[in-house]
Amino acid sequence: MEKYLNVSIKEIIGKFPEVGRILEEYKIGCVPCTLGSCLLKDVVGIHNLPADQEAQLLYRIEKAIYPKRNVKRPEGKALTCKAPVGNIKYSPPIKRLVDEHIVIKQWLELIPSVLEEIDIESEAGMRWISDSLDFVRFYADKFHHAKEEDILFGYTDKNLDIIKTILRDHETARGHVKATSEAVKSKDKEAIVQHLSAYKDLLKEHIKKEDEILYPWIDRGLSTRQVGELFAKFDEAEARIDKGMIEQCEKFAHEAEEKVRKIKKRRQQNEW
Amino acid sequence: MNGEEMCGCPGSKMQDFRKDTKGGEEEGGTRQSQLRQWPIQLHLVSPQAPYYQKADVLLSADCVAFSVGDFHKDYLKGKSIAIACPKLDEGQDVYIEKIKSFIDDAKINTLTVMTMQVPCCAGLVAMARQALQSAKRKIPIKSIVVSLQGDVLSEDWV
Repeated sequence: MEKYLNVSIKEIIGKFPEVGRILEEYKIGCVPCTLGSCLLKDVVGIHNLPADQEAQLLYRIEKAIYPKRNVKRPEGKALTCKAPVGNIKYSPPIKRLVDEHIVIKQWLELIPSVLEEIDIESEAGMRWISDSLDFVRFYADKFHHAKEEDILFGYTDKNLDIIKTILRDHETARGHVKATSEAVKSKDKEAIVQHLSAYKDLLKEHIKKEDEILYPWIDRGLSTRQVGELFAKFDEAEARIDKGMIEQCEKFAHEAEEKVRKIKKRRQQNEW
Repeated sequence: MNGEEMCGCPGSKMQDFRKDTKGGEEEGGTRQSQLRQWPIQLHLVSPQAPYYQKADVLLSADCVAFSVGDFHKDYLKGKSIAIACPKLDEGQDVYIEKIKSFIDDAKINTLTVMTMQVPCCAGLVAMARQALQSAKRKIPIKSIVVSLQGDVLSEDWV
């Protein structure tokens, strides 16, 4: 088992798909991860499961890899016991990042409905795409991702696989935004739909990964002093940013949420 | 439940822990005090004092240090302190102004409020919140509540 603890999770799931299913039972979402380079030992450690559940998880993984091996069954609760899903408590600076995710998710939710019926020849259609790209570039990237990359990740080891995965997601997201922007110029509707959809799928998974795994893990390692420092550094970074633009972006995301509600209502009425 | 239990204030209700208190093995040696300032009472301290500037400050209810066995090692170490009793102290509006001055003038980094589980002690957290609300700066505030026998019951950022 020692051997596999130091192997990337993608390679393990590739060889033993049952391991992926077991991880999902424990709400560890490695299967859809785009990179999968985290080592099995880090994957288990970073989720901070209660000791009995971690022992059960490792037992089940070892049985999946070595079905014939006589592995000692851990004592404790039922083996099918799933990780508890409760309200995660964040420190104030980390909570700020989580709240920004809520704003980004409001806009992400609107993407599928808009793309289904978008008319790129219309002024309204093009304006929505243009406003969306502004929102992503300013709010998601310059305002939110920059705080993570320039400040938060400085409190971690940037060589860790989990951080590399997150940074790779940021780069992939920037690639989709660039490609969408180019598709807008060439009025290529198919490419616009393709890249915005890919951006939405990537960000949804990325946000879940950060909210449920990365942020709680970073929070656990922060001292009280560091929490205060981080809070002050976020304040300084935000003071350098145009407040009016932030408010505009939040308004745009809030309106997106309203639009999703209206579209769903209209579709329900049409079905009746 | 008898009449005395029903009517008594939890903060002043008599309780005898002698049977429950685990003395543990006799510890040898002496432990270093982690106190790095004087005075400590909230009416007496000055937010202008050098040890408060940009510090992580512990605002502790008077009884906490007597209850928590490892108070110095686990909670006081590395912090500047002020103590108060939200039940008995007078002039609590001055307390709010002083905490506000910690935040705005001393530019403290964080404020940790340690209180006992008795209801009246929650007043200290309320004072800290009120001070933060009226302060120009914002800082993280943590609330730690301890039981009468010194166990940590909760530890949350507020």
